[in-house]
Amino acid sequence: MAVSSPTSRAVTATPSKPPRRLPRDIPRFILLCILSVIFLAPVYWMISTSLKPEADVLASPVQWIPRNPTLDNYRAVLTSPDGNILRWTWNSFYIALVFTIAHVFLCAITAYPLARMRFRGRNGWFWFILSSLMIPGIVTFIPTYLMMFSFHWIDTPHALIWPGVAGVFGIFLLRQFFMGIPKELEEAAVLDGAGSWTILWRIILPLALPALVTLAVFSFMGSWNNYIWPLFVVSKVDQLTLPVGVTTFSQRYVTDYGKLMATATIAAVPALIAYLLAQRFLVEGLATTGMKE
Amino acid sequence: MSLTAQNPEFTARKRRGGGGFHRVEPYLYLLPHAILFFVFVVYPVVYGVYVSMHRFDLLQQTQTFVGFEYYRNLFDSSTPQSQFFWQTLLNTTFFTIVSVPLLVATSLGLALLVHRPIFGRSFFRAVFFLPGILTVSVMGILWRWMFDNQIGLVNAVMTAVGREPVPWLATQGLAWVPIVVGTVWWTIGFNMTLYLAALGNISQSLYEAAEIDGATTWPKFRFITLPMLAPITLFVGVTTALASFQLFGQSQVITNGGPTRTTQSVIQYITEEGFSNNQLGSATAMGFVFGVMMLLLTAVQFRIMARDAREA
Repeated sequence: MAVSSPTSRAVTATPSKPPRRLPRDIPRFILLCILSVIFLAPVYWMISTSLKPEADVLASPVQWIPRNPTLDNYRAVLTSPDGNILRWTWNSFYIALVFTIAHVFLCAITAYPLARMRFRGRNGWFWFILSSLMIPGIVTFIPTYLMMFSFHWIDTPHALIWPGVAGVFGIFLLRQFFMGIPKELEEAAVLDGAGSWTILWRIILPLALPALVTLAVFSFMGSWNNYIWPLFVVSKVDQLTLPVGVTTFSQRYVTDYGKLMATATIAAVPALIAYLLAQRFLVEGLATTGMKE
Repeated sequence: MSLTAQNPEFTARKRRGGGGFHRVEPYLYLLPHAILFFVFVVYPVVYGVYVSMHRFDLLQQTQTFVGFEYYRNLFDSSTPQSQFFWQTLLNTTFFTIVSVPLLVATSLGLALLVHRPIFGRSFFRAVFFLPGILTVSVMGILWRWMFDNQIGLVNAVMTAVGREPVPWLATQGLAWVPIVVGTVWWTIGFNMTLYLAALGNISQSLYEAAEIDGATTWPKFRFITLPMLAPITLFVGVTTALASFQLFGQSQVITNGGPTRTTQSVIQYITEEGFSNNQLGSATAMGFVFGVMMLLLTAVQFRIMARDAREA
């Protein structure tokens, strides 16, 4: 493994001889360019429409580039009395964050004994909770809704955070990772008098950081993108999450596509920023391990 | 850390423990999750059985017991429940049968295109991955607009090349096109990434050996790449099929299930029965019936995967 230092990066980044089969690759390159245009067209069209005044949205022939670009749609959407898109973004963020912290913590303390301790019923319990992965979500959908109702959690963030916190895929993931950590590290700590809690926090969790981060990213994304559950348990306009709020706008602006596309564009921005940030790490990671093309 | 180390009682207990940990410790760690697991996973299943056997009304204190009536309704063709449940299940099956081969084939094709080095490879990969970061509602709004009956981009392009515009969203059968196209566009990048990882794991020596034997591009693909990718293809196929059966957001946002329920998915209908028609018991029964079908499907697929893993 290359060390992540400027020098090693400089070495791996030094271009070796470029491959000499460029002509053969040209058709493939052109095909990829065409496909990219097709793939990006809907997104381009979304942004382009969002910048047009209402009259130009319906113009025929279509305006690929807005002739009279305006931010009016964004202004209208952001100050709409029907709902506050920034508030929905915040709701989504807050819910995803609390859910992620609670879920990762719960998975970690549950996976720890399952991976590192010997006790009666360990395997039985593990397979019992793991088998719940087989239950399709729709089976518990309405019963869980009814529970939320009796808890008075409808229209509160609790309904969006807690029912999913006891998921078990994360436990499985972390357990597999924890099992790979050498026993010796733990034994040394036990000799030093460390308790299990200390071992978990000072040895296991720091070593399992990649697995924890992976689980956290997936949990956050899962909560952020959840659509069907929030659609039914939240209806108060200021409690909506971003994906649901966006569709309530879409019902109001059925034909006002300029405003609708401004809404969609704003809703896409947080994910886009996150993706661009992750992309940088991804590229850097590839570069430092010398796998760069 | 030093605190626990200096605590004599703590260390003494450690030594007595033999295995290193106190007997009750593992259970204490498991307890918080176990409580939430029973409350939010086990109980809803059991409670669901109860709900599905009652004419459930949120505002009533006591619920009327109806036994297996809601389950029987699903198998009695004279009830609207059975008519719509099976129709929407058929719709969802149709969507799955059409979309799964398409999703697998397109993502494999794309992965093959961007696997070997080429100028701008990272850029292309990023472009194909990009749609997947959008939430289902943004993706849905976007494709509804693309296929809008009057002024959508697809119809604008068709008009520009001299064809008649097509009322996609209002035509039976054609309304599936935006849903399927949108789904392919939306999920291709994720599956492509899985394929790229698998392609990277195929040993180069296999190709070199084949080249010595005089194999050209097609035989190399047919007899090396495809068989080596079989496990990942199975995985992508299984996960995509299960996801396709859960279809909800795309048809909810793009077509709202229309025209006349032809694109309504079974999950859409179950939620409609539960929340719009206020038939919570009936909807829960449908959820169980559909859930059992999904369970059987999963079991079959696990069997196939296990057999495949043994043969590999």
